[in-house]
Amino acid sequence: MKKLYQAVLFVLLCCLTPLVANAQSFRVQCPTSTITHPNAANNNSEPAYTAPTNVNGAIKCQQISGGDGYSTMGDGTQTYMFSFGPLSGLSKIANGQPGTDFPSEFNVPSPSALLPGAPATMATPSSGTSVPIGFGYNGAVGLTADLDAIADGKCVAPCLDGHVDPRPIIDVGVLNGNIPAPLFAIDEDDEFFLTLTNVGMIMRPDLFEQHTVHFHGYPNASTFYDGVPDASVAINIGGSFTYYYLAPDAGTYFWHCHITPPEHLQMGMVGQIYVRPRQDRVALGGDLYASLQQQELDNRTKCDSTQDILCSNPLPAINTAATAASTVVNGGHSGGYAYNDGDGSTYYDVEYPIQIHGFDPSFHFVGMTFNPEQFADMKDKYFLLNGRSYPDTVTTGPLATQSADGKMHFSQPLPSIINIPAGKKALLRISDLDVTEYQTLASLGIPMTVIGYNAKLLRDQAGNNLYYNTNSITLAGGESLDVILDATDTTRYPSGSVFYLYTPNLDHLSNDAENFGGLMTEVRIN
Amino acid sequence: MRTMKMNTTFSKSRLLLVPVLVMLFAATVYASAPGITGTTFNLTARDAFISQPDGASVYSWGYGCSSAPSGFNPPATLMPGATCPTMQVPGPTLIVMEGQTVTVNLTNNLPTSAGNTSILFPGFNVTATGGVVGLLTHEALPCPTPTACTTNTVSYTFVASSPGTRAYYSGSQGDLQVEMGLYGAIIVVPTAVPTGCTAVGSIPAHYVAPGNSAEADYRLAASAYDNPRSCYDREYLFQFSEMDPGIHKNALAQVTARTGCAATSPTCHLDVPTEPYHPAYFMINGRSMPDDMDPNYAREYPHQPYNGNPHMHPGEQVLLRIIGQGRWQHPFHEHGNHVRILGRDGNLILSSTTAGEVNLAGPLLFTTTTTPGLAMDGIFYWTGKGLNWDPYGHNPASSDSTAKLPCTPDANGYNTAATTALNYYEWCQDHNKPLEAAPFGDVAGGGPATLPDPNILANGAWFGGSPYLGPNATVRAVGPTGTTPPSGTIANSPTGEAGFAFMWHSHNEREITTNNIFPGGMLMMMLVDSREFQIDESN
Repeated sequence: MKKLYQAVLFVLLCCLTPLVANAQSFRVQCPTSTITHPNAANNNSEPAYTAPTNVNGAIKCQQISGGDGYSTMGDGTQTYMFSFGPLSGLSKIANGQPGTDFPSEFNVPSPSALLPGAPATMATPSSGTSVPIGFGYNGAVGLTADLDAIADGKCVAPCLDGHVDPRPIIDVGVLNGNIPAPLFAIDEDDEFFLTLTNVGMIMRPDLFEQHTVHFHGYPNASTFYDGVPDASVAINIGGSFTYYYLAPDAGTYFWHCHITPPEHLQMGMVGQIYVRPRQDRVALGGDLYASLQQQELDNRTKCDSTQDILCSNPLPAINTAATAASTVVNGGHSGGYAYNDGDGSTYYDVEYPIQIHGFDPSFHFVGMTFNPEQFADMKDKYFLLNGRSYPDTVTTGPLATQSADGKMHFSQPLPSIINIPAGKKALLRISDLDVTEYQTLASLGIPMTVIGYNAKLLRDQAGNNLYYNTNSITLAGGESLDVILDATDTTRYPSGSVFYLYTPNLDHLSNDAENFGGLMTEVRIN
Repeated sequence: MRTMKMNTTFSKSRLLLVPVLVMLFAATVYASAPGITGTTFNLTARDAFISQPDGASVYSWGYGCSSAPSGFNPPATLMPGATCPTMQVPGPTLIVMEGQTVTVNLTNNLPTSAGNTSILFPGFNVTATGGVVGLLTHEALPCPTPTACTTNTVSYTFVASSPGTRAYYSGSQGDLQVEMGLYGAIIVVPTAVPTGCTAVGSIPAHYVAPGNSAEADYRLAASAYDNPRSCYDREYLFQFSEMDPGIHKNALAQVTARTGCAATSPTCHLDVPTEPYHPAYFMINGRSMPDDMDPNYAREYPHQPYNGNPHMHPGEQVLLRIIGQGRWQHPFHEHGNHVRILGRDGNLILSSTTAGEVNLAGPLLFTTTTTPGLAMDGIFYWTGKGLNWDPYGHNPASSDSTAKLPCTPDANGYNTAATTALNYYEWCQDHNKPLEAAPFGDVAGGGPATLPDPNILANGAWFGGSPYLGPNATVRAVGPTGTTPPSGTIANSPTGEAGFAFMWHSHNEREITTNNIFPGGMLMMMLVDSREFQIDESN
C-alpha cells in the first residue's frame, strides 16, 4: 500500500516538474549568521540581556510538513486529518517539547536513514507511551550535503546550505500529521526561520492543496509572511516556503493554516507558538525594574503609553524591586516570566501550552472521502486539549496512531497533564482554535490568575496590573490567554493532590457517543 | 443531494471562483462610517428583500427613513449617492452630537401580522411616548398602509449623554424581529476637540502624498471620546449579525398567508419558531463577503447601504466601531496588529476615576469578540515596526530616487518630520535593511531570507505581487531588471496599489461561508496602502 501511495505522489510531483523548470522544490533555510546576528558563534544560545545596545537573541529554525495524517480520539476512533507534522526537532516534539532548533541543532543531517513513520517506528518503545522515546535526532529531515555545489566549487564540504534529499522528507513527512501541529518556542529578538514543506495529502490525491502558516497575532505583520493565501503566496505540493520572522513581543500566540480556514482548521491544521520575554535573559539576581528601564531606551522595545496606544507593558506603577529568578534561559532548569513585567509578577516555575480545539467526526469522515463538505451545520463531537480528549489527556508520552500506510505515527505528542512541583507556580499558555463555538475551561481547585490576554500583558497605561482571579476562562477560536495556577500554598495544595481542569459546557465532557471524557485534564501537585 | 453537489462545485473550484468574485468589486471603494445626522429622526419599520452573494433574496424587516433626514455624514458632497431608503439592514446609522436631545419617531409599516414594533436605545435614559405600552418600551401598532392610523407612531427622546458607539434594536419580540433585521447603530460624537487631536475638516497633513491631491476627511469627529488618547485619522463601523434562512422563509410564508388580516383578528399574528437555530448567512453590515467590499450605497443593494472595506496608510490611527447584533458571539480577528479597546457601549475604560485621568485601561486584542447588543470602540494601526526588513524595499544603490528616500527617526523611531514623504511613518530602524539574501531586480541583497521560486507558489487575488509595500517597491523587486511589473493580481494591482492586504474575519471559521459556500460570510480584506496610493473613501 505504501508503495502505491508513494508512486502516486511521485507521479504528482512529476506532473509539477514541467511547470517548475527552475524550481528549488524542497529546501530548508537556517543561516548560521545574518546581518542582525553576524557572529555565528553567538547564535546557538540565548545571550544575557543587559542593555539594548547588545545584539540580543539568536537564530532559531524549524521545518514542518504540510499534509495529512490520522489521530486517535478518546473513544479509540481513528480520525483522518489535514495536518502539519514535524520535519525537524523530531525527538523534542515526540517528547512533548517545542521542536524549535538553534542552527547548531537544525543543520545536522540524520546519522542514519529515517524510516517511514519515524520517529514512532524508530523509537523504543514504539507504543509511544513513555518518555524519553529512545530516538534522539533533532536536525532537519532531508538535510544533506549539496554535492553539486561542492563539485562546482561554490561550497566547501560539508556544505549544509539547505539542500535536501526529498526521499527522507517524503518517507517521514507523508502521513506524519500531528494534532496539535508542532510546537514552536522562540525568544524575543530571535530571528525565526520556519520552513513549510508541502508533502501533499496522500489520502486525497484529488486535492492539489497548498498550505500556509498564519502566525496569529503577529504585530505589524507583513502580508507576505502572514499566510493568508488570498493576500500572499501559498506553497504548492512538492515545494518548501521559508517564513521569516523577527520574534515579536513576548506572549502566547498560536498558528494555523489559512487555506480554506473552515476546512483546514477543522481538519486539524492548528498549532501553538509562544515567545519568551527578554526578561528571561536577565542574569540571575538582576534588577527587573532596571532591566525594563533599559528596554525603554530602545524605540523598538519601549512602551511609552503617551506615544503608542498598542503597547501593553509600560513600567509598572509600583517598583517592587524584584530580582531575576532562575529561568530556562539564564541557566535554570525550568521557569521564566510570561512577559517583560518589570515587577516579577508573571513568574512561573513550569509552563504548559494548552490548545483547545474540536473535531466534528462527520466532517472528518467526509474529508477523507471525495465528497463535498457542509459548513453551516458543523458540529464538534470531540473536544480536545492538545489534540486529546479525556482520558487520553492524562496519558504520558506521545500517542501513536496506525495510519493508512500500516505504520505507527506519533499523532498526538502532547499530553495535557499539569504537573506542578509542590509550592510552585504553573503558567498555562491557553489558546483556542475551535472553528465552531466558544469553549469554557474551569479550574476545580486552584484559582486561575489571568495575567495576559491575546499575547499582551494585562496592564493599563498607567502601569497598574489588571490581573484577575477566576475559576473559568472562555475562549473562542482565534483567542489566547495566559493563566497562572499558583500552588505556593502547600497547605491547600499539598504534594500528591490532584485537581481538575474541565469544561462546564457539560455536553463537551463527552467523546462522541461516550458520555464521559472530552475537555478535561488533571492538575497534579508533585 | 443536489444542494451538496452544487456546493462542491463552489468549494472545490474556488480558484476559479475568486477571479469572478474579484471582478465584482474591482472598483476601488472604501468604507468610513456613513450615516444620517440631525436631532430628530423619522424612522419607519418595513419589510423588503435583502440580497446575499449566493443569489438569495432573503425576506427581512428593517428600519429606514420615512422622510428625508436632515443630513448625511459624510455629506453628499463627499459621498455622492448617500441615501436613506425606507427599509435597510442594518438600520440607518444615527450620528448625533454629545449633549444633544435626540428624538426618534418610529412608524410601524410592517405587515399587520408582524405585530407591534419598537426601538430600544440601551445606554440612554429614554422617554417614550405614543403608541401602546409594551413590555420593554412603547410600541407602535402595525399599519402597513400608513393612512388613518393613529397609534402606529411612537417617539423616543433622550439626551446623547456621552460619546461612543452603541447598538439600537427592536424591543418587541426580539428573538424574531432582530433576526429579521431590526437593528442599527447610534454614534455619539464629542463636541470638543481634545488636545492633540485634529479637528474634522482640517485635513491632517499626512494624508497628502507626493503626486496625490489631498485625501478628503471622512471622519465624523476628531476623537472617539473626550480623551486625547482617542484621536483618530480614519474610522470604520462593522455590525455583525447572522441569519437563519428557514426563519425568514417561514415568516414570509405566514405574512403572505395573512395578507390583509385585521389587527383585531385572533389569527392575525405570526407563529415563527426561532429555535432550533441554524444560521447560514454571516454578515458584516448586512452584507456577506464579497458584497461587503462593494461601495456604500451601491445600487445593487438598495436595502443594504453600508459596506466593510477598510483601507489605511501606515501609521494612521484607525477607529473601529464594532457592534454585535443578532444573537451569537463572533470572534472577529483583525490580522496585522492588535486593537486597543477604548470603551464599551460608550463607556470609556480608564485606569482610574480621578478627574482628568487619560490613561486607558481597555484590553489589547487581536480578536475582538462581538457580543449581541455590545458595541466596542477600538484603535488599530499598522506601521511595519519590528519586521527587521524594510517593507518599502529601499535600495540606496538604486538609480530611482523613490527607492532611496531618507528615513529620519523622530523620538519614537518613525519618519514623521517630512509630512508629505512617501515613506511617512516608516519605521527607521529597519530602513534599508534587506530582506532577500540575493539581490534581485532593484532590491539589494544581503538579507536573511531566500525567496522561493515563484513558479512553485500560488498567488492570491489580493497579493500585491512582491513582499514589499507599494507599486514602486513591487515593480523594482519582481523583474530581473527591476522594471517588470508582476502579472496582475486582480484586487490589488501591483503597479497601482500593491497594498498589504490583511484578512479581517470571524475566527469561528465556518462563519466565513455563505450558505455553505466558501469564501463568504464575515470576511473582508483590510488594505494598508503605501502613500503612493490615494485612498478615496467616497463612492
